[in-house]
Amino acid sequence: MASTDQVNAPRATASRGWITSGRVSERDTNLIRIGILLGVAAVWEAVSRSGWLFRDVVPSLLAIGASIWKLLMNPAFYANLQVTAWEVFASLVIGGALGIFVGILIGANRFLAAAYEPYVYYLAPTPRIIFFPVMIMWFGVGVASKIALGALSCFFTVALSTAGGMRQIDKVLIRVGNSFRATPWQMGTKIYLPAMRVPVLNGIRLGFGTATVTALLAETKLSNQGLGFMIMQIYARFDMPSLYGLLIIVFVIAGLGNLILGKVTGTSD
Amino acid sequence: MSSASTAAATRPATEAQPQLVIDNVSKQFGEGPEAVLAVDQVSFNVMPGEFVACIGPSGCGKSTLFNIIGGLLGEYVGNVMIDKERIAGPHPAVGMVFQEESTFPWRNVLDNVCFPLELQKIAKSERQDRAQKFIDIVGLQGFEKRMPSELSGGMKQRVSIARTLVSGPQILLMDEPFAALDEQTRLLLGDKITQIQQDLHQTTLLITHNLTEAVQLSDRIVVMTYRPGRVKRIVDIDLPRPRTSDVVSSAAFGKYVAEIWGDLREEASRGMAESESSTATRGKSARG
Repeated sequence: MASTDQVNAPRATASRGWITSGRVSERDTNLIRIGILLGVAAVWEAVSRSGWLFRDVVPSLLAIGASIWKLLMNPAFYANLQVTAWEVFASLVIGGALGIFVGILIGANRFLAAAYEPYVYYLAPTPRIIFFPVMIMWFGVGVASKIALGALSCFFTVALSTAGGMRQIDKVLIRVGNSFRATPWQMGTKIYLPAMRVPVLNGIRLGFGTATVTALLAETKLSNQGLGFMIMQIYARFDMPSLYGLLIIVFVIAGLGNLILGKVTGTSD
Repeated sequence: MSSASTAAATRPATEAQPQLVIDNVSKQFGEGPEAVLAVDQVSFNVMPGEFVACIGPSGCGKSTLFNIIGGLLGEYVGNVMIDKERIAGPHPAVGMVFQEESTFPWRNVLDNVCFPLELQKIAKSERQDRAQKFIDIVGLQGFEKRMPSELSGGMKQRVSIARTLVSGPQILLMDEPFAALDEQTRLLLGDKITQIQQDLHQTTLLITHNLTEAVQLSDRIVVMTYRPGRVKRIVDIDLPRPRTSDVVSSAAFGKYVAEIWGDLREEASRGMAESESSTATRGKSARG
């Protein structure tokens, strides 16, 4: 038997030149990444010192560094961060749960899918921010309207990927479950859920992204707390170093959140 | 040599009641002029410990028969009986192995094989012991912790077979389990199946379109006609047991293959002609 049983081993192929295929060494890509970062920083600093642009539109890196430090020492920053984090978390829980529920319904039932899918597909790419005025009227100007809008945007992402995952399930696995006379509960927990794990978790991860974008966007429009509100406050003062500093912090936080979610769900690439 | 017989009961080891009775079974798909009669009045028995192959060209309704016996198809005409009980849904006495790759990709080999025992809520240590036994039987010891994606096609199919065997079926029902494998793997896996069947006295019904496979493994072969699927002939295979894949080079083996191929060729060419003409008319109507 042994001769016929070859365990598939990943094959590394390397090629030289601009068009590459196969695996790229991690060390090389890391070097390139650091290089890009240093390059951007150097150009930035050069432009900043040249005086070609209005003063403070491109502040020096030192000024930005100092403002980041100041922000991180500022209790108001943490208060705002907490508000935004809560908004994103609540949106993800509400929108994600509804999205999984509706996604399973649409994925499982061909009739429901035919009836509802056009709406979901046409609504999904609509910029959710246009619903913000409606949400303000329903839920007020506080945190609730941001959560509602975040949940709305998260809902579509999760619902679509859940429905897709449901439909992608290999039919033979369902026949296997039936042939072993699995109960509906066992079919759900031991076949459907694990088979849909990856698309659903991917949907939640993407939903986290859209919820973050939507919450921040809504905060910049109308709010009295949150990171988006803070950005607009700093902008109103034309405090460019702090603005860039805060943008960098938000960027890092969002990236970290995505990374952690990827690790937790095992869908990181 | 005995052929064209229903005399399985004359076999010394199988004087008992048949384990599986297929009695006048028909199945029609669709209604009115569109209706297709897939299986037409099929009858045969499988005795305890016997290995029966059901062979026929594509479109002879053998997969329909597989799904009826497995209880996955619902309504049908006639009776499929196990222990005097008519099959009307998945029956605990029937263990199915599917043609498609059917291991759970998120479970390792051991957990895949444990699956049916998990459904029966058997304690973890016991189900692992029982699963291990069948992993050894199909020759996958050492691969317990591997994921299906790390296994070859033949190994995955053996995982499926172990998973079905661990549920302790009275009848092992297999639908072209080796269809996706190359000829060498198929022969060697055939050895494994023969050995399992001889060691465990596992009653087995194999659905296949592969003639050498059917003769290599079976005690009896049910030859089916092209649509609608009827029993054309039942052939006893009197090749000595225990058997290995070496049997394929014996003269007796060649005689059986030639004999059954005579029947099978008629049906296969009928099927081919029919599917060609229907393609031709479809092409014409599409052009017109």
